[in-house]
Amino acid sequence: MVSRRNFLASAATMVGAGVVTRVGAASLPEAVIMETAATQAPLAPPNGRPYHPVVTLNGWSLPWRMNNSVKEFHLVAEPVVREFAPGMKANLWGYNGQSPGPTIEVVEGDQVRIFVTNKLPEEHSIHWHGQRLPNGMDGVTGLTQPGIPPGKTFVYEFTAKRPGTFMYHPHADEMVQMAMGLMGFWVTHPKNPDFMRVDRDFVFLLGNYDIQPGSYTPKVSTMLDFNLWTINTRVFPGVDSMNVRQGDRVRIRMGNLTMTNHPFHLHGHEFAVTGTDGGWIRPEARFPEVTMDIGVGQMRALEFIADEPGDWPFHCHKSHHTMNAMGHNIPTMIGVDQKGIAEKINRLVPDYMAMGERGGAMGSMEMPLPDNTLPMATGEGPFGNIEMGGMFTTVKVRKEQKPGDYSDPGWYKHPKGSVAYEWTGNVPAATRAPGASLSAAGVEYRARKPQGHQH
Amino acid sequence: MSTNRNAARMKPLAIAFSSLLLAGCASFSSDGGLDTVSAFTRERTGQAVQRDSSAEDTAASASAVKQFLTQPLTPDAAVRIALANNKGLQAAFAELGIAEANLVQAGRLRNPGFSFGRIRGGDNIDIDRSILFDFVGLLTLPLRTGIESRRFEQAKLQAAAQAVQLATDTRKAYFNAVGAQQALHYAGQVTTAAEASAELAQRMSRVGNWSRLDQAREQAFYADATTQLARARHNAVAAREQLTRLLGLWGSALDYAIPERLPELPERLTDANDIEAQAMRQRLDVQIARQGASATASALGLTRATGFINVLELGYANKSQTGEPRQNGYEIELALPVFDWGTARRARAEAIYMQSLQRTADTAIRARSEVREAYSAYRTRHDIARHYLDEVVPLRKRISDEVLLRYNGMLASVFELLTDSRAQVSSVNAAIEAQRDFWIAETNLQAAINGNGSGGGSTEIRGQAVAEAQPQH
Ligand SMILES: [Cu+2]
Repeated sequence: MVSRRNFLASAATMVGAGVVTRVGAASLPEAVIMETAATQAPLAPPNGRPYHPVVTLNGWSLPWRMNNSVKEFHLVAEPVVREFAPGMKANLWGYNGQSPGPTIEVVEGDQVRIFVTNKLPEEHSIHWHGQRLPNGMDGVTGLTQPGIPPGKTFVYEFTAKRPGTFMYHPHADEMVQMAMGLMGFWVTHPKNPDFMRVDRDFVFLLGNYDIQPGSYTPKVSTMLDFNLWTINTRVFPGVDSMNVRQGDRVRIRMGNLTMTNHPFHLHGHEFAVTGTDGGWIRPEARFPEVTMDIGVGQMRALEFIADEPGDWPFHCHKSHHTMNAMGHNIPTMIGVDQKGIAEKINRLVPDYMAMGERGGAMGSMEMPLPDNTLPMATGEGPFGNIEMGGMFTTVKVRKEQKPGDYSDPGWYKHPKGSVAYEWTGNVPAATRAPGASLSAAGVEYRARKPQGHQH
Repeated sequence: MSTNRNAARMKPLAIAFSSLLLAGCASFSSDGGLDTVSAFTRERTGQAVQRDSSAEDTAASASAVKQFLTQPLTPDAAVRIALANNKGLQAAFAELGIAEANLVQAGRLRNPGFSFGRIRGGDNIDIDRSILFDFVGLLTLPLRTGIESRRFEQAKLQAAAQAVQLATDTRKAYFNAVGAQQALHYAGQVTTAAEASAELAQRMSRVGNWSRLDQAREQAFYADATTQLARARHNAVAAREQLTRLLGLWGSALDYAIPERLPELPERLTDANDIEAQAMRQRLDVQIARQGASATASALGLTRATGFINVLELGYANKSQTGEPRQNGYEIELALPVFDWGTARRARAEAIYMQSLQRTADTAIRARSEVREAYSAYRTRHDIARHYLDEVVPLRKRISDEVLLRYNGMLASVFELLTDSRAQVSSVNAAIEAQRDFWIAETNLQAAINGNGSGGGSTEIRGQAVAEAQPQH
C-alpha cells in the first residue's frame, strides 16, 4: 500500500521495482509500464540533450530510446486499475499501466517519434495539447487522421519546437476516453538548462470522476456532478505531499482536464504564475498571488520561494472539490434536534445513528461505508482528522531536506509557542449594539433550543 | 254397507302385510347416521364430528372447546373447534335426523281409519260406515323404503360435505386472520417510519432547514400511512370475526389467541401424481352425483320391469352449498294398464337416467379440472412464497443495508433511509401475504381432492402490488 509516508524510499531509484518492461516488436521501442501509484524519482536524462527533470506527483516519466538522434517513446492505451487512495480502486483506461499516463519529457528542438498502440476496445488517437506540429500529427480522429483501430499501432513524429508545459489526451471518443482517465503530462525543457532554473519542478493533471459508492467504474456520461476530484487521478489522502528544502525555488505545473475551473490556493507563501500552455510569462507581466484559477483545458506553471518551514496546504478552493464521494441531496441537519426520532428510526433500522446535528464533521465517527468508497473527508494529521479529500495536498518545507531528496519528512515539528493555543483566561461578554437582534423575521436561530413540537 | 265389499278388501290387505314383511321394518339407528358422517369427515379432514343431541353432549363439547382455547390456535385446533361448535353444522346434522325419520316413516303404513257418512234424502236416511286403508301406500311401501334409505345415504354424504366445507372455510379464515394480524403489525412499522420522517421534517422546518413544501410532503405521507394503518386494523378485525363466526364463539371465548406468525412453508410438497384419481375416490360431490345416478338406475329398472310403476326422482341440485340442502323429492305413480302400456313412461325414465349419468360425468370432469387448477395454484403460490422468502426479502434487506452504509458516508439522507425502510417493510408484508396465500391454496387443494372443490371459481393469481418506494429527496 502506498501512502505519503512511505513513498520514494530512494530518490536514486530511477525506474524502480514497480516498473516492468515488456519487449515489444523488434522495430518498436519498449513500452515500459508502471504498476504503482507512488511518486517516482525524477528521470535523469541518460542520453540526448541535458535538462532538469520534473517530478510527477503520484506518477512517473516515460523512458525513451534514441534512434539515430530521434527520441522514441512508446505509449500503450489500455485498461488499468488505479488506486485513488488506500481503500479505493477504479477500473480506468490509462497509458502504460497507469492513469494518468507517464509524463513525457523532451528538450526544445528534439526530434520526437511516439508509437501509440491501442489496446482499448475502441478507436483511439492522441492529441498533443499545446504543441506546434504538422497538422497531420495533431491527433484528431476524423479531422487529421483516421482513428487508431483496436490492436493497431500508429506513429506520431514531430519536432518539440516550443519549450513549455503541455499535456496529451485522446481526441477520439474524447468524452468517454477522458472520463475513463486517459491523459498525460508533457514537458518540453528549454535548450538552455539554466533558463528559468528551479530547484524542484512538480507536475500533475487535474481530473474528475463519477464513481458511485460501491462501484469501480466511472460513469462516463456525468457532466457536472462528479464525486471525485483528482490530482493525477488520486484523491487526498492518497495524494503525495510535495517535499522541498527551505529556500528552494519551487515550480508547480498543473493541467486542467476536468469539466470546471479550479482556484488553486497555496498557504503560507505567495507565488507568481510564470507560465501557461502558451509559453512563459515575461517577468514584468507576473503578479503575486495566493490563489490561481485554472480554467478548463488550461495549463499553468507557478513559482515561489519556499522560505516558510511547515506543512502548507495546496488545494482547490472550491470546498466540494476537497471532499470525496458525498451525497448532494442531503438536507441540512444543523440545529435539528433528533432526540426521540432516532429511537423511532432505530426500531426500524437498528444501526441508524443521528448525524449532522452539530455540523458535517465526521472526524471521530468510524462507520461502515459502501464497498470501495472513501470517507468524504478524511486523512489523519498530527492534530487529528484533516477533514479533507479530493484536490488537496501539502507542500512540506524543511530546512533539512537534502537537494534531490523527494522523500516525505513526516509531520512538521513546530517550534515551541508557534501553534495556536487555548485561551484559559476570562472571556468577557461580547458587546452588542443596543436593540440588535440575531433573529431574522420568522427564523429562530437559537437552534439548540427548539420549541415544543405539536403532534 | 255390504259384506261383499268388505270381503273384497281383505285379500289385498294380506298382500300388503306380506310385502311389509318383505320390506323389513325400518327403525331408528343408534347413531342417527352420524357415525358414517364422522367417518367420512375424519377421512377427509382428520377430524371427527359429533352431534350435540343432549345437554350433556353440549357441555362436553363446550369444555373440549374451552380446552383448545387455552393456547394460541393451530389450524387443526381451529377446525376441531369449528366442527364441534359451529351451530350451522349442528343444524345440518338435524337435517340428517329428518332424513332418517323420513326413512323410518317410509317403512310404516299410514294408520287405518274409519269413516262415517250419513246422507238424508227425503225420508230415506243412508248411513255409510267404512274402514279406510292406505292401499297405494301399502303397494308402494317397499319402493318408498328403498328410496328413502338411499336418500338417507345422500343426507349423510351431504352432512359430511358440509362438515368438510366448514373445515375448509375455517382453515382459510384462520390463515386470513393470522395474515391480517401480521399485516397490521407491519402497517404499524410503516407508520412509525412515516411518523419519524414527518416529525423530523417538522423540526427541520422549525429551525429553517426545510421548506414548507418538503415538510408538507412528509406530513402527507404520514397522513396516508395513518389511513393505511386504520384500514389494516379493520381488516384484522374483520378477518378475525370471520374466523370467530366459523368457530361459533361468543362471549368470554372471544379473546382467544391466534399465533403471531403463519406456519412456515412445508419442506415437502404434495405430489401431483394420482390427485385426480384421489379426487374421484374422495370428492363428496362426485359421490353424491354417483349415488344419485345409481338411485335413478334402480328406479329405471323398476319402471322397465313392471311398465306400470313409474318412479321419478325429481329436482336436481348440482352442488350442495353450506346451509342450502339439496332440494329434491320423488314421485311414485302406479298406472292401470288400460290404455297405455307404459312405453312413454319408460322412455321418460330412461331419459332421466341418461340425464343423471351426464350430470355425474359433468361433476367428475369438473372435479378433475378443479383439482388440476388447485394443484397449479398450490405449486405457484408455494414458489412465489419461497421466492419472497429466499430472494425478495433478502434482496430488500441487502438494499437497506447498502442504503444505511450510504447514509453513514453522508451519501444518502435520512429520508432516503426511511423511505427505504418503508419499502423493506412492504416487501416483508408482501412475503407474508404470499405465505398466507400459499396456505389458502393448500387448503383449496385439499378441498379439491377431498371436499366439494372450489365451486368453479377461478383462482387467477394477480400481481402483488409492491410499491417500489422511491427516495423523495
Ligand atoms: Cu476545484
